Amino acid sequence: MPPSTEQSRPAGTAVNGTAVPSVELSHITKRFGSVLACDDVCLSVNPGEIHGLLGQNGAGKSTLMKILTGLVTPDHGEIHMAGSRVSVNDPLAAAGLGIAMVHQHFSLVGRMKVWENVTLGERGRVDRDQARRLVKEVGERYGLVVDPDAHVENLSTGERQRVELIKCLRRDPGLLILDEPTSVLTLAESRELFSVLRRATTDEHKTVILISHKLDEILHATDRVTIMRGGAVVARRDTAGTDVRELAREMVGRELSKWTAASAVGAMDALIVGEQTAAEGEVLLRLTDVHATARDGRPLLRGLSLQVRAGEILGIAGVEGNGQAALGDLLSSLLDVDSGTVEVCGSAVNAGKPGAMHRAGVGVVPEDRHGSGCVLDMSVAENLVLADLGEVASGMFVSPRKLRERAARLIDEFDISVPSPDTPMRLLSGGNQQKVVLARELAARPKVLVVAQPTRGLDVGAIEYMTERIYRAAQDGIAVLLISTELEEILTLAHRVAVIHRGAVVGEMKRADVDLERLGMMMGGQIA
Amino acid sequence: MTLTRPPATTPAPAPLVRLRSRLTAPLLYVVSFAVALGLATALVTLAGHSMGDALLALYQGSLEGGASIGQTIDETTPLLIVAIGAIVCARAGIFNIGQEGQLIIGAMAGAAIGLFVPGPGWLVGFLALLGATLAGAVWAGIPAVLHYWRGVDVVISTMLMIFVAMQVVSFAVNRDYLLQETAVKGQILSPQSNLLPEGVRLPRLGEYPDFNLGTGFFIALAITGVVAYLLRYSRWGFRLRMLGMNPVAARRAGVSAAALGGGALLLSGGAAGLAGGVMLTGSVYRIQAGFADNVGWEGLLVALVARNHPLVAIPVALFFGMLRAGGGFLASTGVPRYLVSVVTALLVLAAVFPAAYAELRKRRRPAAVEA
Repeated sequence: MPPSTEQSRPAGTAVNGTAVPSVELSHITKRFGSVLACDDVCLSVNPGEIHGLLGQNGAGKSTLMKILTGLVTPDHGEIHMAGSRVSVNDPLAAAGLGIAMVHQHFSLVGRMKVWENVTLGERGRVDRDQARRLVKEVGERYGLVVDPDAHVENLSTGERQRVELIKCLRRDPGLLILDEPTSVLTLAESRELFSVLRRATTDEHKTVILISHKLDEILHATDRVTIMRGGAVVARRDTAGTDVRELAREMVGRELSKWTAASAVGAMDALIVGEQTAAEGEVLLRLTDVHATARDGRPLLRGLSLQVRAGEILGIAGVEGNGQAALGDLLSSLLDVDSGTVEVCGSAVNAGKPGAMHRAGVGVVPEDRHGSGCVLDMSVAENLVLADLGEVASGMFVSPRKLRERAARLIDEFDISVPSPDTPMRLLSGGNQQKVVLARELAARPKVLVVAQPTRGLDVGAIEYMTERIYRAAQDGIAVLLISTELEEILTLAHRVAVIHRGAVVGEMKRADVDLERLGMMMGGQIA
Repeated sequence: MTLTRPPATTPAPAPLVRLRSRLTAPLLYVVSFAVALGLATALVTLAGHSMGDALLALYQGSLEGGASIGQTIDETTPLLIVAIGAIVCARAGIFNIGQEGQLIIGAMAGAAIGLFVPGPGWLVGFLALLGATLAGAVWAGIPAVLHYWRGVDVVISTMLMIFVAMQVVSFAVNRDYLLQETAVKGQILSPQSNLLPEGVRLPRLGEYPDFNLGTGFFIALAITGVVAYLLRYSRWGFRLRMLGMNPVAARRAGVSAAALGGGALLLSGGAAGLAGGVMLTGSVYRIQAGFADNVGWEGLLVALVARNHPLVAIPVALFFGMLRAGGGFLASTGVPRYLVSVVTALLVLAAVFPAAYAELRKRRRPAAVEA
């Protein structure tokens, strides 16, 4: 393994190397129960660089950063900052050492103004004018333009992230950590973020650690990269001297096909352009001018229309929170329409009636599989049934024999790793839970298959599996609606791409005609 | 690596966790009973009585001799019926805590039928039990309608309905044109009904002072068996469990919460009403304002301790029945009633604590795993 040899090499081999690393974590080990989250991890970050931390879900990136920010105490290991040993026992200590982190999920109060959010947590008297000035000042220094008097709930996701950044930067931290910062941003917003980070490192001489599982990002934005897999560091590279394939191989531990590299690890360059064209089948799912509101009166869908043909994959692209969840709920009979129609195979469906969509032939692999996709406290066999109780029942009663037979058949067919059909769903890994959901939905022989964020939180193997299954479902003549915030996933699979913005489809194009700039602007709502 | 890793790592901690909880569960029971007994001893001793005598009396009243055992079983019967209803409801994810009210309304309906409907005794007895069940269901039906129509919280509405039920019964047994007993010359009228005629009562097996018990116990056992089987093997049970464990997934799968959940609420009300009917026709024979005597509440506790498993509810209900029978006897030996209540309450707490603790742990665990 490289770590030991790397360790003996002086830290100054990096691009903009200085003798003393800004932060150095050495031999960090952390165990959660029987899981080794960090296994003798060494990470050294030079001052003034953007250091990428690359790895799949569960590779140990987050745990390592939680250790650095004092949220988790390591079992072994030392942390050095600028050459001297420090102990980071709690988040306050981390803040004292000048370590700041922007988490993947924002911690902002929507009802409060920007300057109020920035001063939140401050002690003593609140000086409104000074706080406003501070927001402006920090904003100008780093190019983070935001109105201090705007309410956070009225801001776009990109603007909210600017507020988060200002919250961190105003304390003038020496080390800034960003956890998957682009997962909620459009392409343009991501680029803007990276230029801000570049300015922070070159002009203000700050150090940045960028956590990501997207190769493109790492390649474009970082100076050096440390790759983790299974809790250990497997490689360290200067970004300039590496490429997508090498990074993907190190991150996954094997060679990936171009096909899955694109959707699994976000290597946009590897995408094959304009290969997929679907036969013109009949329209199986048609939504016409659908309006829907949440229970609290918030509009969720505002005149959404779309249609999906047999054998076709329609990708719904968009920034998270623009009605994707509502669209999924609508097609799961969890949400009723206020106006507009939902037609499956040409006949209208009463969307809000429990189970109506399922009966009409709409299978759903939901965004939140723990929410509506499965029942965690029931067994795998039972979860493979749920709605299709009729198939395993004789008269009023469920036949345990039929239940097990069906489970065994599906477990085999869909290659689900599970000790026994009676294992509680809760004990399965995310990938296997997703397989159970997919197996059940496909076993019902749906006309339409809705897959929402099908690969979120899964490891590369499971992502490959899902991608292939979705592709095959379309080949079999199912109309597939793919809802995803991962553009790469949509571009890999979809025959057509529709962009959703503020609860409506604002644009549509064939896969072959996709222009990333235009797509990004549509997602941001700039053009329709 | 990616495909084979999940089975290798994830199920591994599970048996470990399960083993640990299996080991600690009995220990937890031992400790909580020890603490409860210690506290009870301190209290009883401070009040100037002997704990040894008190325990002996508890034993004599519940287990020594046929009559005592019969008494225990009679106390167990309504507790078990209430608990089964509570279990059905809880499995559907709904928390009906108004059994005390549903029980007394059921008993009142049963008394009205038993006293005023003419006909052969066995038929009237049967009608009384049926009426009690329906009345209990109606009493739970009001919160059900309020919940599914207007979104009123079931816990609150079922509980408040208890107080309404108490007032209704109290009103009825204080009005001679309703249920109050008929005057005998020179007697002051009490707030209670007449005794049910002999023919209407549930038959008893065995003879006092030897072992004897009411046939209601067999009704309770039959219900328990049927419910346990249906929950486990029927389509209804499957959908009910699905609704209780994940209402969102259940809705997607075509389960109507209002129909199935509301039905479960009615069933649990019906069970509480039937429990009232069985108490009435099996052992008390008349309705009074204090008729329910916490049976509804304790039945709910039985369901909690049994962790919503119908078959486990049988021994748990027997334990609670023992405490009730023994407590009654203890009071008759001269230990003040309030001390008896405190001692039995402590033992009930000891029985409830491990289950409640496990429930709390269970809620905490998923959060810990994700972190």
